[in-house]
Amino acid sequence: MIGQADDFLSGENVMQTFGNPMLYHYLALGAALFALGLVGFMVRRNMIMIFLSTEIMFQGIAINLIAFSRYWQNSDGQSFVIFVLTVAAAEASLALGLVVMLFRRRQTLNVDAWSDMQG
Amino acid sequence: MDYALIVATALGAIALYLLLPRGRSNLVKLGALTGVLALGLAITWVIHLSTTVHAGQGAVVANIFFYAFAVLALASATGVVCHPRPLYAALYFVLMTLAVSGLFIMLMAEFIAVVLIIIYAGAILVTYVFVIMLASQGGEAATAQYDTHSADGFMAILVSFVLLGTVLQVMFYTGPNGFMHPLAAGQAAVHGMGSLELLGANLYSRYALPLELAGILLTISLVGAVMIARKNEPTAHILGTGDLPAE
Repeated sequence: MIGQADDFLSGENVMQTFGNPMLYHYLALGAALFALGLVGFMVRRNMIMIFLSTEIMFQGIAINLIAFSRYWQNSDGQSFVIFVLTVAAAEASLALGLVVMLFRRRQTLNVDAWSDMQG
Repeated sequence: MDYALIVATALGAIALYLLLPRGRSNLVKLGALTGVLALGLAITWVIHLSTTVHAGQGAVVANIFFYAFAVLALASATGVVCHPRPLYAALYFVLMTLAVSGLFIMLMAEFIAVVLIIIYAGAILVTYVFVIMLASQGGEAATAQYDTHSADGFMAILVSFVLLGTVLQVMFYTGPNGFMHPLAAGQAAVHGMGSLELLGANLYSRYALPLELAGILLTISLVGAVMIARKNEPTAHILGTGDLPAE
């Protein structure tokens, strides 16, 4: 009885009940998230929102890596996602520190306030 | 049916263009309707592909959970990009993180799913929310003009969605050796897949040096963030004996 309950709750049973999504489902979703984040990166004018859009792109890439990890049945993709998360955390702390510093200089978060930085 | 994906991508681009914050809200409903149309068309096409073209490759009736999480992720990502108030955008980002971690659980990456929630929703987003509240101007003008009016995103959306359409075309039309394989081809081999034990063994044997470098990177960024965000002002005005430094 307990064994049956374990079988019923296992992932494979759920997969068989509802059918299997294939690799391209996840790759297409990752590409769509990446495109949305790219649009946000180029369109938004708030510096915080620009960095938040890069996080969307990170998650699109992470979906790709995890899907390939599942596809090849090994942990390499998941290890890469650990590193992606590390870089995302480092980027968020540094970028937000920079944003706070820039906000103190000009009292605005508008990136156009810094368009005199050229060269 | 071959053009359905292109049409869906184009509809998504139009929807995103209509949904961008411009200070007037009469286009939002039209944009949302277009977005729903685009998502519905894309999902219908993918289900059609899964159930007819690849019907011979085992059970490929589309997974309800996948579509629920995918629609949630895409809708909340659109909310992040398009919401005029940064705090609400950050909350939409939390929603997107939850949807993505649901997808990770379906991909047998349970540890990564939990880590994603802890790091993104717990740590990174708290940092974002703190900076948003620190840097907001307050008062009645809660939403600044640079939030309610985005840049004109025509070229940005064109570039991004042409890229997306190209990727999708290549992905779906590369023939039998493309990305059309079932995800769970060898389910017998997934013993311990996604477990912390397997991932830890992989991280500490094959990727031991990159893991150490990641730790060094985190330390460097910690020190760097403290140094960057430090108040670089004379302490006189804090003590009440001087004026604010002119900037």
